[in-house]
Amino acid sequence: MCVALSVQNRIVLAKSKTYSIKRIPGFTTVAIVCFFLLYFPMAPLVVYSFNAGTNIALWEGFSLRWYEAAWRNDLVQEAAIRSVVVAAMASFFATILATMAALGTTRTRPYRGQTVIYAVINQPLMVPEVVTAVALLIFFAIIKTSTEYYGLAYLVSAHTAFCIPFAYLPIRARLEGMDLTLETAAADLYATPWNTFRRVTMPLLLPGILAGAMLAFVISLDDVVITEFVKAPGQDTLPTYMLGQLRRQMTPEVNAISSALLAISVVLVTIVFLLSRKKTK
Amino acid sequence: MNHKIVTTIAGVSLLTTTGVASAAGELNLYNWGNYTNPDLVTKFEAAHDVKVTVTGYDSNDTALAKIKAGGHGFDMVVPSSSYVPIWVNEGLLLESRPDQMENFKHMDEQWINVDWDPGRHYTVPWQWGSVGMMVDTSVYSGDINTSAIVFDPPEELIGNINVAPEMGDVMTTAIMYLGGEPCTNDKEVLKKVRDKLMEAKPKWKSMDYGVIEKFAGKDLAASLYWNGAAFRSREKNADVRYGYPKEGYPLWMDSAAILKDAKNVENAKLFMNFIMEPENAALISAFARYANGIKGSEEFMPKDMLDAPEVVIPAEFVAAGKFTPTCPPEVQEMYTAIWTELQK
Repeated sequence: MCVALSVQNRIVLAKSKTYSIKRIPGFTTVAIVCFFLLYFPMAPLVVYSFNAGTNIALWEGFSLRWYEAAWRNDLVQEAAIRSVVVAAMASFFATILATMAALGTTRTRPYRGQTVIYAVINQPLMVPEVVTAVALLIFFAIIKTSTEYYGLAYLVSAHTAFCIPFAYLPIRARLEGMDLTLETAAADLYATPWNTFRRVTMPLLLPGILAGAMLAFVISLDDVVITEFVKAPGQDTLPTYMLGQLRRQMTPEVNAISSALLAISVVLVTIVFLLSRKKTK
Repeated sequence: MNHKIVTTIAGVSLLTTTGVASAAGELNLYNWGNYTNPDLVTKFEAAHDVKVTVTGYDSNDTALAKIKAGGHGFDMVVPSSSYVPIWVNEGLLLESRPDQMENFKHMDEQWINVDWDPGRHYTVPWQWGSVGMMVDTSVYSGDINTSAIVFDPPEELIGNINVAPEMGDVMTTAIMYLGGEPCTNDKEVLKKVRDKLMEAKPKWKSMDYGVIEKFAGKDLAASLYWNGAAFRSREKNADVRYGYPKEGYPLWMDSAAILKDAKNVENAKLFMNFIMEPENAALISAFARYANGIKGSEEFMPKDMLDAPEVVIPAEFVAAGKFTPTCPPEVQEMYTAIWTELQK
């Protein structure tokens, strides 16, 4: 064990002498500029959410009134709860499907058509969102007219579909990085495939599954285009509610909602990061 | 851990299925986002024991696409005047005959025989307004009643101009500025329009929504925009004035209509009649701050709206305003081509 570790260390050391991305000239500058461009525009958004005035770009003092207004606004509340419910359900289903898909594409011998399967699973990443949205609109319209059902299931299934690749990628990455010998050893000791999965694969895979689920959750929470086309009466989510505000009057209430949403996203992404860091240790 | 998550999700999903309406009837209104006064909804719900659900859209095209696909579950929609003929021709609207309803007597005569719905067989006015020139008069004190403000801007305004990113409104204003008719297919005129827009664009700062705060913060000095926003903007920056271009400017009206495949037709008719009541029409205006089409609503409206030059068009400018008709598809195509080039 100790020997193996020091060998590994030496390889890492040797590698870092020959090539490291950190040594490319200007790496730090480019990284800082990128982070600045990515995150700086959000700073005023958060700052103005604490504005006392009714203006989203004119500072009139600190206050929490817009958080209170957003909290008291029934429409915002309903939309927020709906967003979270849809995201929770969609990420739950998407993660189950993605886990099965990841197992089916890594724990098998290479077979014909495997690349096609990758392409099919990752299709929502390639196809422009509005294409999926229009397709779903027409497809669901047929179901709606024949069943007269207008519930949340349409939104949940649409979100599940486009969340699958986001859940699938981290789970597959985790599976590919896992040591196969443990599974082989379990099988060697006469564990049934199900037992092997439950006792060996699953516990090791859990960080990947959680990371995938949270990524799917955030993606579902943010979606506008597909939701706008699929939503039935009374099914505005927070993003579509905010889109509707855009054309009329915007108040710092929108900033407050956005900041809260941002905070949730940041927390979830941080958890994903911590989980994935743990696994590669 | 896993088990806990499952139970939580199951619990949450249960919660959502229990939000059942308690009222006797239902009405599903599909309207522009942030356009429906919650007080209006509450009042209607109390008066008729109907649970109203308002869902928002952000453009005429989104609304049209969703309704055309069918199976939408909505009862009423509020399209703009230039889109109403499309809705009627596509057979999407119910001929609900608001002209035979009790409160039709409150309808302002000038809005009865409109091009998009002659005699009002399908629609009831929701709100109407105009497209014009918002100008910060502390920056530019010259004549603001001309489209030259954005198309041939005076020196003081260059670089601080915004134009609403709305194809129909911008194209129509530009065509009228250059002496053409709305929906013209005259290639000569359109060539001039294209050249003028291309020439003017470098003098603009942005093509964006949300101008009120930018005028308040002095980030913008002029904009082609809607009157209601100009009105609200003046409340925050007292120097903002709204000009009605003498070369011509577009008018628009959003009108409520009942959908042909509506499930709650009777409630929708009640709602149509309800919003023709002056007191209720005033509620609509008080919220989004545009004029409605109902006589006698003035006495219930916020006082500051009654003499606002942005809401009440001064007599000398009334004639220059024109409702944008529905342009034929081939004309629309040419406009889109110019618009696409402009947005590059």
